Amino acid sequence: MDELTSVPQFTLELFGINLVFNTQTIIMTWIVMAALICFGFLATRKAGLIPNPFQVVAEMFVSIFYGFTRDTLGEDLAKKYSPLICSLFMFLLLCNWLGVIPKLAEPTKDLNTPLGLGILGFIIAHYSGIKVKGFANYIKEYFQPIFFMAPLNIISELAKVVSISFRLYGNIMGGAIIILVVSHLVYGLIVPPFLVIFFGLFVGSIQAFVFTMLTLVYISLQVK
Amino acid sequence: MLEIIDLTRSAQYIGAGMAIGFGAIGAAMGEGYAAGMANESLCYRAENSGNVVRNMLVGQAIAESAAIFALIVSLILVFSAPSEQFVLFAWIYISAGLAMGLSAIGSGIGAGLAAGNACQGIVRQPAHSSAIIRTMLIGSALCQDPAIFGMVIAILLLFLDFSTVPLYPGWAAMLGAGLSIGLAAIGPGIGCGLAAREAASGVARNPETNTNTNRMMLVGISIAQSTAIYGFVISLLLLFTGHQENLALTASLGLLGAGLASGFGGIGPGIGEGITAAGALRWIARSSGNTGLLTRSMLVGMAVAESTGIYALIVALLLILVL
Repeated sequence: MDELTSVPQFTLELFGINLVFNTQTIIMTWIVMAALICFGFLATRKAGLIPNPFQVVAEMFVSIFYGFTRDTLGEDLAKKYSPLICSLFMFLLLCNWLGVIPKLAEPTKDLNTPLGLGILGFIIAHYSGIKVKGFANYIKEYFQPIFFMAPLNIISELAKVVSISFRLYGNIMGGAIIILVVSHLVYGLIVPPFLVIFFGLFVGSIQAFVFTMLTLVYISLQVK
Repeated sequence: MLEIIDLTRSAQYIGAGMAIGFGAIGAAMGEGYAAGMANESLCYRAENSGNVVRNMLVGQAIAESAAIFALIVSLILVFSAPSEQFVLFAWIYISAGLAMGLSAIGSGIGAGLAAGNACQGIVRQPAHSSAIIRTMLIGSALCQDPAIFGMVIAILLLFLDFSTVPLYPGWAAMLGAGLSIGLAAIGPGIGCGLAAREAASGVARNPETNTNTNRMMLVGISIAQSTAIYGFVISLLLLFTGHQENLALTASLGLLGAGLASGFGGIGPGIGEGITAAGALRWIARSSGNTGLLTRSMLVGMAVAESTGIYALIVALLLILVL
């Protein structure tokens, strides 16, 4: 049960500042990134009218997420934002599925990964809001309906980052904990594979999709 | 003279009792609802009974998972060795029981609601039962989120090493952490179920719009959960903020108050946002052309309903970090 609390860390001292790296998370993220780059390479290497299996999967991802983005943001913005939304989903899906393989762990189990992606989505949403509506109109929205609501509006915007990232973290962490505790109780017999299917594959894909859709919805709330 | 081990052992028993005692409430109610709806719909199309009963059993199994989490936590409490040195662990065991037990109530009810209406939907549209079952599975799996958050806090309480935390105000921080996620999970669990229920009915009403309905359900349910997440964040803060020893009663009760604020503050917004999402989902199947409009008005309505939960979050943060 020691795995529950252990966070492998590596400290680098640079110009008097201690930089702390969570080694496991970084290595797992690199594995996910390498897998995605390989997938992209294989899918586009011999692009043709008769597609290879990788190209079929890639085209499916691109067309589905382009459709979602177009429905939510409209034709013009979709061309700009659908690559972001599609790659966000593919990254998160692979992150959440990684724990299925023994000895590997989900990078999303570390709060820093979801929080980083949540802040990324927050900045993109607000940047596009300012760009589409103009700075004056963007600021004016915080004083709706009455001027003294401004602090509460700002806090509720920040609370969105908290809720989106802790939702992913709590689910993936919760799944990992349940698998660990139950495997410990039954000595790894029979039950854990079913739990891995449910929490690793099923809940992992749902949560990846939820995170992606909420990022998209938050962008759409800012630009419209 | 009461020895410390007697105290911690009794606390383990109380915690185990509360974990499975509270945890059994919601799942049983949800399963009863699912079975009732299944029975009701069987009469309309008796030839589909096999399909309906199978769906009812699958839905009930998912609704029961919250109670099974509670069972696991109770078993750990009953069979693990209690601390022999620290009175603080007595509070930790009680708090773990509260976190798990209370948080399982909402999720059990919610998952049962989704399963019940899915049974009704299968009778209405037997040809599209696989789409209805898919919506039900996703909806009721999302309903388990609050219970999963409660379980994470319960397991962290049981397995992390808190022996360096001083008893005062540590006891209040631990109890507050359990109450915060436990109470805050009740409302969102029920609210998610209300939304998932309408989604299952909506897919049955108009199977062609099931992509739209599913997407709206995912967004609606996830936002209805946010107060459970605030409760979860407050619990984590209470567990991991370094507490200095302070014998004053105000220091302890401030932390307990923070847990109560975010806990009770989460119940109402969870149910309210669930009702909002349910209203939007009820109509999306009927008028799928207005998806954008419905989504936006649902999100704005939910943001307003959530503001009271955010007030509670602010008070809890003030009590922990400032006072």
